[in-house]
Amino acid sequence: MKLSVMQENLARGLQIVSRAVSTRSTLPVLANVLLRTEDAGLKLTATNLEIGMTYWVPGKIEADGAITVPARLLTDLVNSLPGSERVDLELQAHDTLLLRAGRFETRLKGIDAEEFPAIPTAGERPTTRIAQRVLRQALAETAFAAATDEARPILTGVLARFEGDRLTLAAADNYRIAVKTIPVLDPVPDTSLVIPARSLHELSRILADVEDPLDLVLSPSRNQVLFHLEGVDLVSRLIDGQFPNYQQVLPQGHTTRAEVDREELLKAVRLAGLIASSSANIVKLQVGGEAEGVTVTAVADVGDNRGQVEASVEGDGTAIAFNARYLSDVLQNVAVERFSIELNGPLSPGVFRPVDGSEYVHVVMPVRTTS
Amino acid sequence: MTLRAMIDGVPGRTILHVDLDAFFAAVEQRDRPELRGRPVIVGGGPNDRGVVSTASYEARRFGVHSAMPLRTAGRLCPDGVFLPVDGRKYQAASRQVMAILRRFTPAVEQVSIDEAFLDVTGSEALFGDGPAIARRIKSAIQDETGLTASVGVATSKLVAKVASDLRKPDGLVVVEPGGEPGFLAPLSISRLWGVGEQTGRILGELGVRTIGELASIPAEVLVRRLGRHGAELRERALGIDREPVSGGEPAKSVSHEHTFDVDTADQEEIERTLLALSEGVSSRLRTAGIRAGTVGVKVRDATFRTVTRQRTLAEPTDLTEPIWRTALELARPETRGIRVRLLGVAATNLVDREQLGLFPEEDPRRRRAVQAADELRRRFGERAVTRARLLRRPLPEPFERDPRSAVEGRRGVRGVGQAAETGEKERATAGSDGRGSPVEGVDEPPAGEAPEPVDGDESEPEPERDPEP
Repeated sequence: MKLSVMQENLARGLQIVSRAVSTRSTLPVLANVLLRTEDAGLKLTATNLEIGMTYWVPGKIEADGAITVPARLLTDLVNSLPGSERVDLELQAHDTLLLRAGRFETRLKGIDAEEFPAIPTAGERPTTRIAQRVLRQALAETAFAAATDEARPILTGVLARFEGDRLTLAAADNYRIAVKTIPVLDPVPDTSLVIPARSLHELSRILADVEDPLDLVLSPSRNQVLFHLEGVDLVSRLIDGQFPNYQQVLPQGHTTRAEVDREELLKAVRLAGLIASSSANIVKLQVGGEAEGVTVTAVADVGDNRGQVEASVEGDGTAIAFNARYLSDVLQNVAVERFSIELNGPLSPGVFRPVDGSEYVHVVMPVRTTS
Repeated sequence: MTLRAMIDGVPGRTILHVDLDAFFAAVEQRDRPELRGRPVIVGGGPNDRGVVSTASYEARRFGVHSAMPLRTAGRLCPDGVFLPVDGRKYQAASRQVMAILRRFTPAVEQVSIDEAFLDVTGSEALFGDGPAIARRIKSAIQDETGLTASVGVATSKLVAKVASDLRKPDGLVVVEPGGEPGFLAPLSISRLWGVGEQTGRILGELGVRTIGELASIPAEVLVRRLGRHGAELRERALGIDREPVSGGEPAKSVSHEHTFDVDTADQEEIERTLLALSEGVSSRLRTAGIRAGTVGVKVRDATFRTVTRQRTLAEPTDLTEPIWRTALELARPETRGIRVRLLGVAATNLVDREQLGLFPEEDPRRRRAVQAADELRRRFGERAVTRARLLRRPLPEPFERDPRSAVEGRRGVRGVGQAAETGEKERATAGSDGRGSPVEGVDEPPAGEAPEPVDGDESEPEPERDPEP
């Protein structure tokens, strides 16, 4: 193996794939990045066996070959090399990578490329395509609601349900649920899969705020999904199991409805949250009733807080308590101007919808308080 | 501030240890005058299996002591009066005594049914110095309950405990500040907390028999032979003990503990005991209308090595099963291959709010069953309903810890109407177990337990058997 690449291209590639490097694995090769010449370029691959990432670095190939070297070390080294320099890479004695850049020369001990797991890349025809900007926004509005603890593994994933030219993403952690429906560019036969939220967080990082589409290759039979963008592949395993039937828990009607400015409510919840965080992080909302608009309050040992938010309220009015974090999560991740809040009393779920009519719904379970 | 106080970093304290004399037997003799002057043995019949809970001083003259098999006691003292354990009666007497103690200071730490530590440092202006308070307490207990207590007065819990044990019954031993090393020096090392069989043997090999001899051994030698425990022992031998009297603080935990009359390595008994303790804790949580976010266990082995482990639950609970499951998982690795002296289950990180869930995992029928059982116990008594696993051999009659610091004292916690009623049946430690993170260590045994059964040991182990079959 012998080739030359530009330092900034190599650095960017390493920065992207190193997100998939396993930090805690019993397999030493998973801490490495695979370098392989392919199609007149250098292919970088890393995996933690949940996701695999591949990046193609343009370069000039003199001799084909492959090697794996410690990802962290290589990334740090390349980042420390002078920019806009050519980096020459050469495999020596089957297990050593020689890097030459300007007046610097480094040799890294590696592990044979044969020991690296096979990571599929997008050779096949895509199942469908989605505009990057649309998917990026949908992930921002849903994936945060997925569970982070492994008590129920299925909830650490995001449900992706394809129906014709629509994709519905749903994430839940037993206390809240976020559901968003977006268009896909090519119709897909009805399919449901559960993708680890961690994989989707990584996908979000490489999606750009552009209309250009990314390709999806669904292979539920192989228990994986592959996302392909120009120069980058991300493949993720799927989570086995049945995602809970979230439609059953979406409330059908409401007895109180309020429309509020998102940023105003977020500000009030954050302020109350500062007080609430010293105890159980509970904030109370008084919506309508005697009071006008929405009143956000928090009471704790350290003190108390009360904030007024302008709102147009219809219905009976009610008081309801929520974990402050669940409120601020939805209010800061969904970038719309106004929200509607639909309530059915203090012990029923609260429903948050953008007033602009976009196909998004967020449900938060309340907290039962003794006072 | 005295020089001593500056060295220890604690202003001179006045600590009392109040220990009721032959408590269970004394209550029986008080209530049945015909038993006075006769050897009374509480624990069961002379042919029963099981062990002696308490022997009156008359019975001790025959060589009967607590934790001795009843049949042995029957042989040694054939004319003795053998009585079953009447937990309810002792409980009532204990509460009466603890109420007396709290007249003198809010800092009362009840460590078992018949003994408590008091920090009276702030009460001296009102009631006189330590010895004066001790005399007033003794006569109040005698006048109002007809029982006698032995009291130790010192600057630390350790020394006060040793002092109260020295001249039983009806004793009063005062150790002046600065006099601790001299007071302890002639006493046997077995009187120190943390000297069990193994430690005693190692110290014996070093030629150490008295606390004074222990204090004269260089710290390095003790650390080499006994590890960190050695350094602590040497401090104790010098009478240094900084542990505060914990009492009067709001509850941060609900915990139940059980000391086995005879140390056990039987996993089945350990599991069943954890179940009963978990049941007690969860029932107490439900009574107070709160849930536990964290479950902890405490395991003390025969050598007094104490390990505590805790884990935060995915969701706060007030049900027995999740508490028991967690306690089992935490205790299993700690109980393997050792003889267990004491087990405890603690609920901490208490919350009085419930985050409702979208996809409840808990079967609603389970909660309805638990509520129905709670209701039955409220109406027909604690024994109206029990678990099949606990049927064959009910757990020891538990007792109430210092009710002032019990969980009902927490701010903002409601629904405590039944606390007194159910509390009677429970043993709860409040406030003293709220440790921050998982801890493992060699703890000092609480003063409620004598380090090892020694001659003339005055402490009653908790009754093991149910008086009502």
